[in-house]
Amino acid sequence: VSSGVRVEDQLRALAPQVLGALVRRHPRQFDACEDAVQEALLAATRQWPGEGVPDDPRAWLLTVAGRRLTDAWRSESARRAREEGAAAAEPAHARVAPGADDEAVALAEAPADGDDTLTLLVLCCHPELSPPSQIALTLRAVGGLTTAEIAAAFLVPEATMAQRISRAKARIRATGTRFALPAGEERAARLGAVLHVLYLIFNEGYTASSGARLARAELTGEAIRLARALHAHLPDDGEVAGLLALMLLTDARRPARTGPDGSLVPLAEQDRTRWSREEIAEGIALVTDALARAPLGPYQLQAAIAAVHAEAEDAEATDWRQIVALYRVLERVAPNPMVSLNHAVAVAMVDGPRAGLARLEQLDERLAASHRLVAVRAHLLERAGEADAARAAYREAARRTTSLPERRYLEGRAAALV
Amino acid sequence: MKYMIIIYDNAQMRERFSGDAALGAEVDAIIAELTESGELVGGEALADPSQTKTIRVVDGVPAITDGPFAEAKEHLGGYLMVECETPERAADIARRWPSARFAPLEVWPVMSQDGAEM
Repeated sequence: VSSGVRVEDQLRALAPQVLGALVRRHPRQFDACEDAVQEALLAATRQWPGEGVPDDPRAWLLTVAGRRLTDAWRSESARRAREEGAAAAEPAHARVAPGADDEAVALAEAPADGDDTLTLLVLCCHPELSPPSQIALTLRAVGGLTTAEIAAAFLVPEATMAQRISRAKARIRATGTRFALPAGEERAARLGAVLHVLYLIFNEGYTASSGARLARAELTGEAIRLARALHAHLPDDGEVAGLLALMLLTDARRPARTGPDGSLVPLAEQDRTRWSREEIAEGIALVTDALARAPLGPYQLQAAIAAVHAEAEDAEATDWRQIVALYRVLERVAPNPMVSLNHAVAVAMVDGPRAGLARLEQLDERLAASHRLVAVRAHLLERAGEADAARAAYREAARRTTSLPERRYLEGRAAALV
Repeated sequence: MKYMIIIYDNAQMRERFSGDAALGAEVDAIIAELTESGELVGGEALADPSQTKTIRVVDGVPAITDGPFAEAKEHLGGYLMVECETPERAADIARRWPSARFAPLEVWPVMSQDGAEM
């Protein structure tokens, strides 16, 4: 079993390197290359555990993927597609089917691994794609996950996920995007999109309840792995470090965030001895270093807030004044309603529930439909001693949420006030 | 976000659909669009109410009767499960479903097992 796990990890790490080498050789064939790499990964999953891992796993994958690409080109449908579309746009030498030796050359020409991972991430998070498509394509092309694994994580049929991925690739092809990193301001904007997609992948996994949703919960590990690869390539980028730190500091709380029955445990009531000290130490070191030498950004600030929570022995010992100060900066740097809501919670911890409730009054319009606003109001009303109003607010929030664990939690709080 | 679009049916609608091939073609076109976009998660049509049983357990005693409410003018006809980016998009799919001209559809957000730290 342990060797099987290792093969899987190895394949996921190799996936972007092999895809990068193949795409650099066939720059207009991203979609076909991606399919070929996926098939090579599946072949390795079948063969390696029984026959042993080859001496040069990367060359093995590249050779198999190159052959699959050749096969695809030879097939009837690929030939038709080539006649209709690519033939006019592509120089003749690019259409010659590659042999295994060519692929070995391509591998030798490859830049440092990180270059391809970053270029692929930027490509998969193309602004023309919707967030679900960006996420699915990133997990497959850069993460090396199979369509079946991604479908299981997002709780949709495999055919649905396959369709999303092929549509995303068709759209990238239609934009005529080159396989290269953009420069200047566009590069910064595109990197921002990559960080956002990794953050979304992390959250999908983090909010998954324990137990039955194992495939989904593994998304946090995937997001951390990809953020780590990005950080290794861009060690001086403060926001990349900030995002990785935020993920680690949040993930550290995972063992304590749900009860044995899958029920949600709020931050204030979590058993902090179950937090992962290792992840906390790494996260704090990362964010401390980033804050000291990189321009300030929203991920660093959120990581800094998570670090303040992580450093407190218990909920009472939390340095809420520092959290309020950090939220004040965050609201200026990256204003959004959820930040304002969390700011109000922090203010309530420093100045009392009435001060927090007063702040909520200013938020109503922007967050009118959100169950979170009502849930926060319920908590503050409870702390202010207004049991009837708190109970009504908990019930209102329970009606508005579309999450079963949240509904059970909110109904439980309401019932406890009777 | 996943939505279940519940499609209601009535006797008149069945007649209209069987006599008008264009309505069936409209359904096929929407299904093709939702498949292509990756939004279609699932969906089925349901058999006639006469093939249906209603089960209730009263004071521990199960009572099984034929069909749903015999007096109802409208009954469940089928469902679509879609995953859409906005509730407006889900409502738009329901609005274009051809049966909407004869009987109501309902768009229900589907509860998730995910939960945030509160």
